[in-house]
Amino acid sequence: MKPLIEFAQVGFVYGTRSVVRDLDACVFENQCIAVVGPNGAGKTTLLRLAAGTLAPASGEVSLQGRDLRLLKQREIARSVAFVPQNIEVPFSFTVEQFVEQGRTPFLKMFGGPCGPDYEAMRRAMELTDTWSLRTRVFNELSGGERQRAKIALGLAQQPQLLLLDEPMQHLDIGRQFEMIDLIELLSREGIAIVASMHDLALIQGTFSSVWLMSPDEPMRQGSAEEILRPEVLEVAFNCQPHHRHRLMDRMRNRMEHIV
Amino acid sequence: MAREVTEECGTYKGAQHRRPFWLPAMLSALVLLAVLVAAGMGAVHVQFGLLVRQLIGGGSLTADQRIILFSIRLPRIVASLLVGAALSASGLLFQGLFRNPLADPYVIGSSGGAVLGASIGVFLLPPMSVAGFGATTLLAFAGALGSITLVYWLAHVDGRTPVVALLLAGFAVSTMLSYASYFLEVLDHDFGTGMRVLTSWLHGTIAQPTWPQLAIVTLMLAIGLAGSVPLARNLNTLALGEEYATHLGLSVQQTRIAVIVIGSILTAAAVALGGLISFVGLIVPHMLRMVLGPDHVRLLPATALSGALFLLIADTVARTAIAPAELPVGVLTALIGGPFFLYLLRKAKQGDLS
Repeated sequence: MKPLIEFAQVGFVYGTRSVVRDLDACVFENQCIAVVGPNGAGKTTLLRLAAGTLAPASGEVSLQGRDLRLLKQREIARSVAFVPQNIEVPFSFTVEQFVEQGRTPFLKMFGGPCGPDYEAMRRAMELTDTWSLRTRVFNELSGGERQRAKIALGLAQQPQLLLLDEPMQHLDIGRQFEMIDLIELLSREGIAIVASMHDLALIQGTFSSVWLMSPDEPMRQGSAEEILRPEVLEVAFNCQPHHRHRLMDRMRNRMEHIV
Repeated sequence: MAREVTEECGTYKGAQHRRPFWLPAMLSALVLLAVLVAAGMGAVHVQFGLLVRQLIGGGSLTADQRIILFSIRLPRIVASLLVGAALSASGLLFQGLFRNPLADPYVIGSSGGAVLGASIGVFLLPPMSVAGFGATTLLAFAGALGSITLVYWLAHVDGRTPVVALLLAGFAVSTMLSYASYFLEVLDHDFGTGMRVLTSWLHGTIAQPTWPQLAIVTLMLAIGLAGSVPLARNLNTLALGEEYATHLGLSVQQTRIAVIVIGSILTAAAVALGGLISFVGLIVPHMLRMVLGPDHVRLLPATALSGALFLLIADTVARTAIAPAELPVGVLTALIGGPFFLYLLRKAKQGDLS
């Protein structure tokens, strides 16, 4: 089976700082991957490389076997949706006007949205439970609602792969659990998901595999059980040895909570 | 997750069916009414009933009334309609481009550039025309294009345009260009027409246009509005930010260039007839956004029509309020628009200003 996205020897450099180096990884259909790692390890960069908005400095990122650099962004955006961490909207768009933007890669220059576009928008809003919010103003939504509307925009692209940049950020614990439910629901719908995650305790049980990025180290890939171990995380996140009990407590407590 | 089960009759039509189609029709009717009222107003009063009868074919106007109407008042009325529509539409485009409701062709220096361009035409070049467009008009377009490009380049940092950077760059460029126009005036040796023209531009007076002038500006407005139609949807996408818009497949660079060119055509059209008329491009789109929401597709026709209506009313007040003297309409719009601009600036979140 061809991978949806394949990173082959990918490197990326900001100025002189190398962020991603010799990255080899694949995302297959039905996978649900959590990308973890300390700040500055390159999680967002990795997502942008997969979305085609950043081009690798070396190596190649391919979408179903085709080099992303040779594809038009419109074509990429019909298969891969990137949901950014922050979206600043200077005007008071309603949720449906906001979600409509997800149809951009499908619209012709002089044509507006039509039947299939509205169907995709409706489906996206129903899946994310934002249908009832459709006439509300995006900027006036609560953090959790806004996060769901952002994902609805991504789903309106009818993607095979959804890239989520810190989907849990600024959410209270109840909304975080709802977001986990949503990620599981989308995964069952057959959409591959790659999400950068800050809160390690929310990963187990939902994400089928974990990519651990740390600066100056090759990326580690494995199941949640393999990666989310104190001795692994301690090194990757550069925790002091005397904080080990805290790390273990945190992982254990939260996991019991979820299970 | 508890999900709402949605059963609704008919197919979902997005925000489209919530678009009030009656609004453009109502605005057009208001424009027509305003034209008739404005045509009657002035030193020689023409009764409303007479005008309506003239319109439907049973005219009984005196020769004097005809001359006043067709050679003086109507050209002036048409000019204010054109200027208002052009300024408002270009304001809307620039606000979308800068993702900032404070952008206005006057505030960001685009009008100033057009005046400088036009002044070069008046003071330094002999009268000539290219393909029917006077050199002055073409230079006004070039000036608008140059100044907006400069302001954009100055104020645009990392895919964003901070409010302060935009306002400062616009202020500096527009001051520089206005005084450059004064400088040209000093160089001028014939102390006649050129100076009067420049003064009227800098005050924002809708001069007494000729019908051929109006035809040229109508053409420019038509090109500008037609060019804006496909851009309106792109501006909605651009509102999400350049990086995200790029991800969604919008060609941001092309959109940017198209908005700058089309916006400059519209600015030049307005300046050619009215000079520096401030804040119209700010007030009109803002008012409509409060009624219609921020969708540029919906805003564009309504903005052009409302702009025309707004400036016709303003200019009619300007020419009749203190008769027999006349107020430049630019003075009036600055007096209304200035406080409005400050109010918007105050309302903008402090965070946006950094």
